[in-house]
Amino acid sequence: MDNTQKPRLDLDTVRAKLAAKTGPQYWNSLEELAETPGFLELLDDEFPQQMRPMSGGLDRRQFLTLAAAGLALAGLSGCRYQEQRRAVPYVNQPEGWIPGKPLFYASAYTQQGFANGILVRSNEGRPTKIEGNPDHPASIGAVDAITQASLLTMYDPDRSTNVVNEGDLSSWDTFIQAVRASLAQQKATQGAGLRILTETVSSAVLADQIKTLLAQYPNAKWVQWEPMSRDSVRAGATLAFGQNVHTQYHFDKAARVLSLDGDFLLTMPNHLRHARDFSDRRRVRRDTKEMNRLYVLESSPSITGAMADHKLPLRAGDIEDAAFAIAKALGVDVGTNANAGGSVVPGPWIGALVKDLQANRGASLVVVGDQQSPTVHALGHAINAALGSVGTTITYTDPVEASPGDETTALRELVADMQAGRVQTLAILGGNPVYNAPADLNFAEQLTKVPLRFHLSMHEDETSALCQWHVPETHYLEAWSDTRAFDGTTSVVQPLIAPLYDNARSVHELLEAMQNKARDGYTIVHDYYLQNYPQSDFEKWFQTALHDGMVPNTALPARTVALKPGLGASLTARPAVGASDLEIIFRPDPTIWDGRFANNGWLQELPKPLTKLTWDNTAQMSLATAQRLGVTQEDLAELTYQGRKVQAPVWIVPGHPDNAVTVHLGYGRTRAGHAGTDAGFNAYALRTADQPAFGNGLTVRGPVGRYNLAITQQIIKDESVNDAKVIEAVKDRHPVESATFAAFLQNPNFLQENAGEKETTPEPASREGQNKGGQGRHEPITLYGTRDHDYPKNPNDPDDSFGAYQWGMSIDNNVCIGCNACVMGCASENNTPVIGKDEVMRGRAMHWLRIDNYYVTSQAKPISNPETLFQPLMCVHCENAPCEPVCPVAATVHSHEGLNMMVYNRCVGTKYCSNNCPYKVRHFNFYKYIAGQPSPEKTGGGYDNPSLKLVVNPEVTLRGRGVMEKCTYCVHRISLARIEAKKEGREIRDGEVITACQQACPTNAIVFGNIRDQNAEVTQLKTEPHDYGLLAELGTRPRTTHLAKFRNPNPEIEAGVETREG
Amino acid sequence: MIQRKPKTKLPVSENGGEFLEGEHTYGSINDRISSIVLNQNAQPAPWFLLFLTGFGLLQVLGLAVAWLLYKGVGIWGINIPSGWGMDIINFVWWIGIGHAGTLISAILLLARQQWRNSINRFAEAMTLFAVSCAGLYPLLHTGRPWVAYWLMPYPNILGMWPQFRSPLVWDVFAVTTYATVSALFWFIGLIPDLASLRDRARNPVARLVAGAAALGWRGSARHWQRYETAYLILAGLSAPLVLSVHSIVSFDFAVGIVPGWHTTIFPPYFVAGAVYAGFAMVLTLAIPIRAWYGLKDMITMKHIDWMAKIMLATGLVVFYGYILEVFFGWYSGDRYESYVIWNRLHGPYRWAYYALIFCNGFAPQFLWSKKVRQNLVVLWLLCQIVSVGMWLERYVIIPISLHRDFLPASWGYYTPTFWDWAMFLGTMGQFMLFMFLFIRFLPMINIFEIKDLLYRKLHAGGHGPGHHANGNGHSAPDSATVAAEHAAAPAIEPVD
Repeated sequence: MDNTQKPRLDLDTVRAKLAAKTGPQYWNSLEELAETPGFLELLDDEFPQQMRPMSGGLDRRQFLTLAAAGLALAGLSGCRYQEQRRAVPYVNQPEGWIPGKPLFYASAYTQQGFANGILVRSNEGRPTKIEGNPDHPASIGAVDAITQASLLTMYDPDRSTNVVNEGDLSSWDTFIQAVRASLAQQKATQGAGLRILTETVSSAVLADQIKTLLAQYPNAKWVQWEPMSRDSVRAGATLAFGQNVHTQYHFDKAARVLSLDGDFLLTMPNHLRHARDFSDRRRVRRDTKEMNRLYVLESSPSITGAMADHKLPLRAGDIEDAAFAIAKALGVDVGTNANAGGSVVPGPWIGALVKDLQANRGASLVVVGDQQSPTVHALGHAINAALGSVGTTITYTDPVEASPGDETTALRELVADMQAGRVQTLAILGGNPVYNAPADLNFAEQLTKVPLRFHLSMHEDETSALCQWHVPETHYLEAWSDTRAFDGTTSVVQPLIAPLYDNARSVHELLEAMQNKARDGYTIVHDYYLQNYPQSDFEKWFQTALHDGMVPNTALPARTVALKPGLGASLTARPAVGASDLEIIFRPDPTIWDGRFANNGWLQELPKPLTKLTWDNTAQMSLATAQRLGVTQEDLAELTYQGRKVQAPVWIVPGHPDNAVTVHLGYGRTRAGHAGTDAGFNAYALRTADQPAFGNGLTVRGPVGRYNLAITQQIIKDESVNDAKVIEAVKDRHPVESATFAAFLQNPNFLQENAGEKETTPEPASREGQNKGGQGRHEPITLYGTRDHDYPKNPNDPDDSFGAYQWGMSIDNNVCIGCNACVMGCASENNTPVIGKDEVMRGRAMHWLRIDNYYVTSQAKPISNPETLFQPLMCVHCENAPCEPVCPVAATVHSHEGLNMMVYNRCVGTKYCSNNCPYKVRHFNFYKYIAGQPSPEKTGGGYDNPSLKLVVNPEVTLRGRGVMEKCTYCVHRISLARIEAKKEGREIRDGEVITACQQACPTNAIVFGNIRDQNAEVTQLKTEPHDYGLLAELGTRPRTTHLAKFRNPNPEIEAGVETREG
Repeated sequence: MIQRKPKTKLPVSENGGEFLEGEHTYGSINDRISSIVLNQNAQPAPWFLLFLTGFGLLQVLGLAVAWLLYKGVGIWGINIPSGWGMDIINFVWWIGIGHAGTLISAILLLARQQWRNSINRFAEAMTLFAVSCAGLYPLLHTGRPWVAYWLMPYPNILGMWPQFRSPLVWDVFAVTTYATVSALFWFIGLIPDLASLRDRARNPVARLVAGAAALGWRGSARHWQRYETAYLILAGLSAPLVLSVHSIVSFDFAVGIVPGWHTTIFPPYFVAGAVYAGFAMVLTLAIPIRAWYGLKDMITMKHIDWMAKIMLATGLVVFYGYILEVFFGWYSGDRYESYVIWNRLHGPYRWAYYALIFCNGFAPQFLWSKKVRQNLVVLWLLCQIVSVGMWLERYVIIPISLHRDFLPASWGYYTPTFWDWAMFLGTMGQFMLFMFLFIRFLPMINIFEIKDLLYRKLHAGGHGPGHHANGNGHSAPDSATVAAEHAAAPAIEPVD
């Protein structure tokens, strides 16, 4: 500034101004004090935010100057000091890291306190897929649908990103100060007003932290509440043995299994391991002589019941009667309850069952469902003991949970304390008790009486809304932790990515901060293991544990426990219940579980096993019950239970016990997020602390309206329930080949010869010649002779222009349990979009792989208890693909390796290929689904969302609007394997290409490989006598073939006493 | 039948009548037809009503297409398994309607059916407009219409050709060829009449436009000779197209393996259905228009009677097709085929099937009765029933076959949405708009061919079909003669 023009400083003015001001004044210069024009000008120049608004308008030069400056400065906003943290330790050597090549890290997913070992794929630092960890005992390389979909929750755009105080944004520091102040007050009473509420904890680190905190505040209490509580399992063990022991089932040793309402294949902990072990004894090959046999008594149709050789639908309460009857028949002491039960199960059924179990002493197993009463659990233990199963098919260990106890009682006490004003500080670390606590406890109401309550969770949910403080929680793939598997094996949960949101904290970090400490998550976990597992070379040991995904030698040893003497006397049968009293059964939802995944679009849109329902829950009942209540499919009924009411859409499920209604928990969320809010009805509103699993006294009033449901297998919705002709049409087509195991033993070539006890009508002549016995080659009759893409040709023939590889797949229907793991694996791998309920209702579901579900009824199997057949179906890669010749632009073509390929760029979207596809496995982008159209708010967002973009598998193209898409046989995985093989100068090995569905499958039902390789597993499977090509009579020559489904019924029961009338 | 002795005045006949009635001179014919075009101030009231309806519905079409392009085909009711719905139904329906025109023009011409002269222009125009409506659907039903040109074989840097095994490619060829030949045929037939308009128009713009379009037609013998040759060649080209287009359209289904589609009966049954629908539409339009424009002398009850008879004949063929479909379903022994029939009769869409049988099987039986054929109101209503029936036929074939095919697990249901209907109504608007613009701005009846009829009538005696070997108005007076005779003819007031 030109000094000469600067006006003089008038000291009088300064004095005058100073005199006019009161209070202390802070100033830097006399000019400032005098507020001279020169100073104001300087201020303007220095601090542009105080610049005058540009009232005079801009000329061109000014505009360009500002625009350029704006552009240049915009880049600076990205310049931020990034805190360095150890977020992703490389398990593989970092120097081996190649951009574009994904890396896999071992971690673990925890549900109900039990871990599934997983391998997480990381593409350039972002986790994109979850697969099973083959070394982990609870995973054995498989992974379930929920675990896979938990990945999407991390990228959920609705996740909370900020500390919230009474609805306003706040900061972590403010929060922790408030908490510390409150804790400081608690010091005086030794924490008498402090409560910590968590979900079931099996993390040793977390338990250690909480116990440390409790040591500082001896009067404080730690409460665990898991909506899918295993209280009655623990109570049952205590009842039987006098102590809480943990029960482990070994299906690999069981030739006969009886399940008492135990859905051990899907919703019970450790189900992946159960499924693998169970299926290993069920696999049928040409020389198989033995197959296990499964009896199921179940209250709510499950996939376990669908796999049963004999299934009896019973009300959940009646199962206790059946358990008494079975125990009595086995000679177990049932005390004064000798007359209990009996009537609910046909006598001959029990006789035959007991005979069969006894004939397999030591190799039989009785599984009791988590929801069953302690009495049934105790009876189960007694029966297993009586059958000599203990030590072989069943073992006992110490509990896996860090602090097992009766969670319902603890929660009840907590609520009582809150009501009495005894709680001053409530730390809710995870979970959503306001939503899922038993309705009769009035948790929400009492919660507001706590002066300081804070909630750590990934979403600002129902509980957050009622707490003063909400703290965003890290996802398990963002933070360090540890967990334990069903058998006790400990895994360190390692993060794959720094927390997406800076404000998010793990529960460990929060507890650390509450104790005025400041270790980060890694140090907390590392230090715990350093102290508790001292090693000579700890770092190497720790890295190995991280790499393997588990800490060595942590499985719990088997214990010997003895049944309490006089057990029978201590058992009391339930009060008598009328035969037609309506029972309500609460079950976790098979996709969104207890509601924690309500905002997970992948799971919302995953068709639930058996019902194929998406985006909703229903009141499920049998046909007879629906008729009695005067309601039918999609009627809205009002359920009243213990004075509480909800309205629920009715869904009739074949195989549901009469006089019972199943409701699935997890829906009806009010603050879940875009996808989950207001989907379905809230069954928790009916659930009480006394009857968390089932109870009598339900009344149903209906219909009070209509409610549309989105079902992917629409025929279930339309007429399967009562249109006999449709049932006839389905049966007549027998899309799934099935037989009894006995028939197979008698004649393994039954499929070719149409012999054996086929449960469907005999084949017409058109199917003759479909299978050449034992050759595994499908040779349909054709007018046109063999085609030039027949395979395999002589590899030594120089004219053989066909590739060395001819890809094919075999799906074993016999061990497919219908668990959806493959469907979710496929969706996650191939970026299939979530389209929302409306679009599903229109019949536009986009899953490339679906599990068709067929019921089979016959004289012996009425509609009240039909047989269920699963058949996974994706593009079967026909050699004579009907889709190919009808495409006008050659967008779907055949590769020389036998793949039916879809060229998205070339597709104009005539949909003719789909019309002409007899399997209807092609899916069309009617809207720009990847962007979340037509309504991103109803799908939870599309892959255009900045956050959801990260979950996309970069190996697979995102499909735009107007193109057809379908299963590719994971062609990108084939390409990866081919590149590896070429680099090493060899052929692709058998088993090297594993498709996403195959990887996820817990029962190894899906096998993929090169059918030109005679030794490949898939080729061998295709030579099995019971291999068949679906709709092969059309001449499509499918590359994916299926293995027939077998049942292994007990001949004594099969003789006709199986079914009860009505 | 047309050997009847001519009379000086033919009453409006209740029992057949003639193909040209009333007392006409060459001049009066010229006047009566061209005055509709030349006297623009004298349009009947229904014209405005229908034009405005058409115009309004065209706006609906614009909206429906714009929304479609913006959102995608998801706005329609199509799904998996029913990948095609009203888009293809309407395509086939419109194409079918378009068939009558070319049949009348080409096949009846080659068969020397003089009676076609009164209705051919009109029917040809109808064909063109119907094809223009039809053509929208295959284009817009694609998921990505902006690349629909890939269905055309054209040299491109990708080195990609269409996939010639696909019936959709055949469709492209069939429909574009048909549209081209029909347009040419129509235009060439218009040339002498355009010359007449040119000569008679007082409005300089009309004179200029008609003059340019008449391509310098002076009516010389050489012109007539070349015209006749060209017309005959085009007729020869069009005649097989009548059969081929709908055969190829039917291949879209017959080539597919979908039960209910995969059948050899489709080509003849589709062609018959097309002619059936086409004549229904010709009658739908002709019956009111001949009344509004005073053309009852030229489109006589005899025309109407004969067209009704053709409808009856083709309707019977179509009904036979339905019967055979049921028979094949049963006789095939194939579970999928037989289920298709069962599903039509008992499935969720049975209403559509029964309505179809009523519309196309039973309703046309009334046409056996001459009374019905001569009762314009009843006949017009029957034509509406036929149009609905032919639409239902495609509804039954397309979504009903698709919605339940091989695997019950993938069965579904198809329900058209608002936008499906909007686009259908919109194409109806386009059709109406074009049709009524045509009526107003071009001679809707072939002037010179009617004059040929008059010539034959006046120089009667040997009126048998064998007499006019060329089958067409080669001896019709040229425009100069017409003008000369016009002066002597009694003036005929244009119809209001």
